[in-house]
Amino acid sequence: MATQSPTQNQNQGAESAEPAANVDQQGATEEPVKQSSTPLVFVNSEPMREEQVQNAVKFLSHPKVKGSPVMYRRSFLERKGLTKEEIDEAFRRVPDSAPTVQTGGVTQDGQVKSSSNIQQQAQPQALQPGLPASAGVNTSSATLSRSRFHWSHALIAIGVLAASGAGTAIVVKNSILPRLKSWIRKVVVEEDDEELKKLDRKPTLVEEAAQAAKSAAAAAADVAKASQDMLISKEEERKHFVEVVSLLDMQVQEMKSMTNALRRIEAQEDLRVTQTNTKQLIVNGKADYDLHSVRSTSPPVSYEPPSSLHPKSYMEIMNMVQRGEKPSNTRPWEVSQVQNSSTQVPHAQGNGEYLNSKVQDSTQSNGDGDDALPWWQRKNARIREIGNETEYNGNGSSYGVASNQPPPQRTWVPPQPPPIAMAEAAEAIRRPKPAAQKDQMSDTQSVGNSSDVSDEVTRIPRRSESEGAVEGGSSSSIPSTVEIQEDQELRRE
Amino acid sequence: MPVFKTPFNGYSVKFSPFYEDRLAVATAQNFGILGNGRLHVLSLSPNPSQPFTEIAAYDTADGVYDVAWSESHDSLLVAAVADGSVKLYDTALPPTSNPIRSLRTFKEHSYCVYSAVWNPRHADVFASASGDCTLRVWDVREPSSTMVFPPHEMEVLTCDWNKYDDCIIATASVDKSIKVWDVRSFRVPIAVMNGHGYAVRKVRFSPHVRNLMVSCSYDMTVCVWDFMVEDALVSRYDHHTEFAVGVDMSVLVEGLMASTGWDELVYVWQHGTDPRAP
Repeated sequence: MATQSPTQNQNQGAESAEPAANVDQQGATEEPVKQSSTPLVFVNSEPMREEQVQNAVKFLSHPKVKGSPVMYRRSFLERKGLTKEEIDEAFRRVPDSAPTVQTGGVTQDGQVKSSSNIQQQAQPQALQPGLPASAGVNTSSATLSRSRFHWSHALIAIGVLAASGAGTAIVVKNSILPRLKSWIRKVVVEEDDEELKKLDRKPTLVEEAAQAAKSAAAAAADVAKASQDMLISKEEERKHFVEVVSLLDMQVQEMKSMTNALRRIEAQEDLRVTQTNTKQLIVNGKADYDLHSVRSTSPPVSYEPPSSLHPKSYMEIMNMVQRGEKPSNTRPWEVSQVQNSSTQVPHAQGNGEYLNSKVQDSTQSNGDGDDALPWWQRKNARIREIGNETEYNGNGSSYGVASNQPPPQRTWVPPQPPPIAMAEAAEAIRRPKPAAQKDQMSDTQSVGNSSDVSDEVTRIPRRSESEGAVEGGSSSSIPSTVEIQEDQELRRE
Repeated sequence: MPVFKTPFNGYSVKFSPFYEDRLAVATAQNFGILGNGRLHVLSLSPNPSQPFTEIAAYDTADGVYDVAWSESHDSLLVAAVADGSVKLYDTALPPTSNPIRSLRTFKEHSYCVYSAVWNPRHADVFASASGDCTLRVWDVREPSSTMVFPPHEMEVLTCDWNKYDDCIIATASVDKSIKVWDVRSFRVPIAVMNGHGYAVRKVRFSPHVRNLMVSCSYDMTVCVWDFMVEDALVSRYDHHTEFAVGVDMSVLVEGLMASTGWDELVYVWQHGTDPRAP
């Protein structure tokens, strides 16, 4: 049936735009008014390639292939680019393989055609299962014999193991027990001997004891000297340590004050939601930056884990499932679950509202001056806003290259870094300090500023310009870049 | 631009062909490995403080991998569920009588079917892309597929018909490339587009511009291509922080696109603007 239509309609034109209402399966395609045969252009109109068919026949005749499921054979040939006709021809030429395609259960009523299809296919299928059944029996008996072999193998192995275990147990009993007894006897005999020897050595023992005492005293004196030296060095180290701790405390306090100031700014920004567009964009940038610096001290999540392509939580869930555990948030499925969908709706809405209020939406500012179109149709307004943003960026920013280009609409504009909140803290950090303290400062700053790792990459081009400005620069790179950041932010003010 | 947060990981998003403010989102729990799924029907509202309202949400026993709106009935949609069934939903009916029924099964692929798309010109023809590396074209009046060919050497994850030329179909695969074919001469592709860093998960032709198409990939980007031009990449959007898995272009509003991904976010934006701008 399927093969009749392509041969008949191969040569017909394919340019019609009208969808065919009904194409008769018996092959008559010329019907009045708006019928066309263009849907049947979606078939293979190539002639069969004999070479491909022969290759397929060789493939199907291979004994290994004969043992594989029919689905895999067909799929392999399809993957090699053979057309349906070629595959069918190959299956026809190789006698005992079962090529037909079955359509699954049809549940619609009144579909006479589909039911007749099933009936027609059921008959040839009844013949073909007879053929693969015999092949199946052979293979299954082979596997059975192999499996029986396995069973007998297993039994024999178990028997051997049991026998060997019993044998070793008996041997152990016979050999080790007497050994134990003899060993005990030996020990007892030795003790008796030792007692006798002790009595003989008593007078000489006294002299030896005296000598030993002297040497012990000398050793004790040495030990005492060594411990004294150690104590001295320890005290020196402790002094250093105390100094370091005090400096750390100072740094920590400064950091705390800075974070407090930043948090205050954040709180103020949340109150300024209804202000104009351009300010909101900057605010957004700040908020994002704050979230980054406050929350995480690890590289941003958008970097893919180097070990695998999938996100880490995906791998966690995969591991859980493979171990046989179920992720905890799945609900057991019941038929009555459908009713819960209505209760879920207000809950989901509540979530959506909460999150959307967090995300600052600029359309409120657009409401006054624009048309009555909904936001997603205001194409012009979008471009205007981004134009404003680029203007502001051009004036105040020294951040990166992308934000200063005129057509940034297509690319993501990175968020703006926050300006300095406390000038005094910035000044204090920027001022040169004695060399010893500076080294310790580098350690603390590296700990506190690892969140800025992602921004360092973009700041590196700036480093060459402002390195000259850093006074008494230390050798480590991290404090110098931090100072450069502070420089930039100060200058921006 | 507003963002909608789904409780599960997003898999597919489709605009309704009848209502310009309506879209459907298919989601699956636990990245689709194990768990339930949910189909959301959202409405975009001009009210800026609440840009998304959820019209309906249907829970399923297994993850929902794809959703499609009917083009003849404004309230019907079809969900592809991970347990192998295809479920039909009607948003006009109360939630208790959904889903309606499973219609018909076409069983010919030898591995998962990742995507199935109706031909926009011929109402009985559809194409399916499968993990067995083949693309099949079907006609519902025929009992079996009418065409089959291997567009890629690796699993074909997606396919889409061109909305202006009814014989052109695009496929994209794990091999990171997108190929555009003419089904009448399917031995050689019309165009091959490389540029994604990882497997391309979904392609969609634009309903407004003949040569324009959009794709999303596991490299977390959404790219727009023009396949008739030598340098095909038109723009690239980098807004997702996890795999970008679903993308769609609206039929009713020119240039409006939506995308979703495993970061549980749905973005809706105009082509040429920044999806993350507020």
